[in-house]
Amino acid sequence: MSILQVKNLTHSYNGNTPFVNDAVSNVSFAVEKGEILGIIGHTGSGKSTLVQHLNGLLKPTDGQILFENEDIWKNPKEIRKIRSKIGLVFQYPEYQLFEETVFSDIAFGPKNMGLSDDELDKRVKEICEIVGVKPEYLQKSPFDLSGGEKRRVAIAGVMAMRPEIIVFDEPTAGLDPKGRDNIIKIIKDYRKAFNATVIIISHSMEDMALLADKLLVMNKGNLEMFDTVDNVFSQGDKLREIGLNVPIVTRVFNKLKALGVDVNENVFTVTDAVNELKRIKAGDGNA
Amino acid sequence: MLKDITFGQYFESASIIHKIDPRIKIVLMIAIIVLIFTSGNFFALFLSTFFIITTLLLSKVPFKMYIKNMKAILPVLIFTAIINLFYGEGASLFPDIPVLSHITFEGLYRSVFMALRILLLIFVSSVLTYTTTPNDLTDAIERLLSPLKYLGLKNAVHTLAMMMTIALRFIPTLIEEAEKIMNAQKARGADLESGGLVERVKALIPILIPLLISSVRRASELAEAMECRCYNGGEGKTRLKQMHLKKLDYLCLIVFVFYSFAVILTNIIF
Repeated sequence: MSILQVKNLTHSYNGNTPFVNDAVSNVSFAVEKGEILGIIGHTGSGKSTLVQHLNGLLKPTDGQILFENEDIWKNPKEIRKIRSKIGLVFQYPEYQLFEETVFSDIAFGPKNMGLSDDELDKRVKEICEIVGVKPEYLQKSPFDLSGGEKRRVAIAGVMAMRPEIIVFDEPTAGLDPKGRDNIIKIIKDYRKAFNATVIIISHSMEDMALLADKLLVMNKGNLEMFDTVDNVFSQGDKLREIGLNVPIVTRVFNKLKALGVDVNENVFTVTDAVNELKRIKAGDGNA
Repeated sequence: MLKDITFGQYFESASIIHKIDPRIKIVLMIAIIVLIFTSGNFFALFLSTFFIITTLLLSKVPFKMYIKNMKAILPVLIFTAIINLFYGEGASLFPDIPVLSHITFEGLYRSVFMALRILLLIFVSSVLTYTTTPNDLTDAIERLLSPLKYLGLKNAVHTLAMMMTIALRFIPTLIEEAEKIMNAQKARGADLESGGLVERVKALIPILIPLLISSVRRASELAEAMECRCYNGGEGKTRLKQMHLKKLDYLCLIVFVFYSFAVILTNIIF
């Protein structure tokens, strides 16, 4: 059973004016429990609008979103419950920190769910272990932290609600390589710890190759492709047509192939590349 | 919901009022306000009413836009009218009815007079804001105040105008930012819609603090960017858009002179 189903979702901005504009039009897809789904697309292709529907921040102009086979808008008063089950981490989430201490900022989400103080304490500590925030930081002001630390605290703020599905809008934007790897590890760890489903928007094809099971490609508000990572990245020309690309290592192997070297082109990560090169080397030795 | 906020109520249209030099518009607006305030009788006020209604029609801004502005100030209008109605001197119009016995002919006269006066003031200022972009307005204010530099306030006028321009420029940005932060906090389960007054004010804290912090950050970034481009105040700065008085502006001034003479004459005669 799919945990989340999006059916014929359409969203128009400026609905009743001459400037009517479909930001997302007739998009349907389903996400399985425990899966990592990557969403890629050119700037302005409707990715952010799409994910804001998933937890009911935007109401679809047309179509449905089903969470565990139930329309999330079935009971509009209960939409805040949906938001704690489907967490959404916005772009640059560190800009939404506001509390006096790291602890109370992380506890803001769970507190809104009406949890007891003991439970809050437990959840904050547990999530801090996953995101790597040291216990002595909990009483510090979030504004005294470094950029990467702020980002981790902000992500922890959403994770502390223990959402079953967690959606990230460009979680690694503006971070250095180490910070980026760190965030990727946090996402993987959270998923493992809570058997959660993850949806990620990213412009980094390399991140997608490392993380995602499936990819959803958006173009001008339409769903262009929805397939496994291998199948999407093997259509490099189509991706380039809509302003995207394949990971850099894949481009290297495409070039090698074009130069007449007999390589497998389905190489998306550095690990894949190393394995493929080893295979070729072993083959050469035999020949 | 935040997108509904309109600031600087410029209404795009190709009327002659839109084409008048903003400096002329500001000066004339002030002059008209003075004329309205110095008018002592209804004849003078009717002249102004006629003049202003003509301007409204020439501005090609839908009349309901002016009505909308009027509605905002309606409580003040009614309050003034009622106060004036009951505090007039002279003989009572209804001596037998308890409360209404305070109403006199003079009171009624003053009440209508004051209400009309306020109405005209609102219409005049609405014409200005509907037909002039906020940027043109600040530009014009800067130029009108420029003689102050001879009083030793060399940079003050430019600084003030720059501050106004920047403030206007950042209103849409701040609205967008506020919306983003609201969504982010809603995603964390913040409840912004229900609860009593105290709860609602408390619910604003998670939005206002990040907004304040990002405004300060933006301000310092903007200051650095301006310094990188060698901004050092108004001195020696030339302008992209020059303002020159044209035929239309002189014509406008001539019409105004006639109108003001008429108002002054009626004030003397009646």
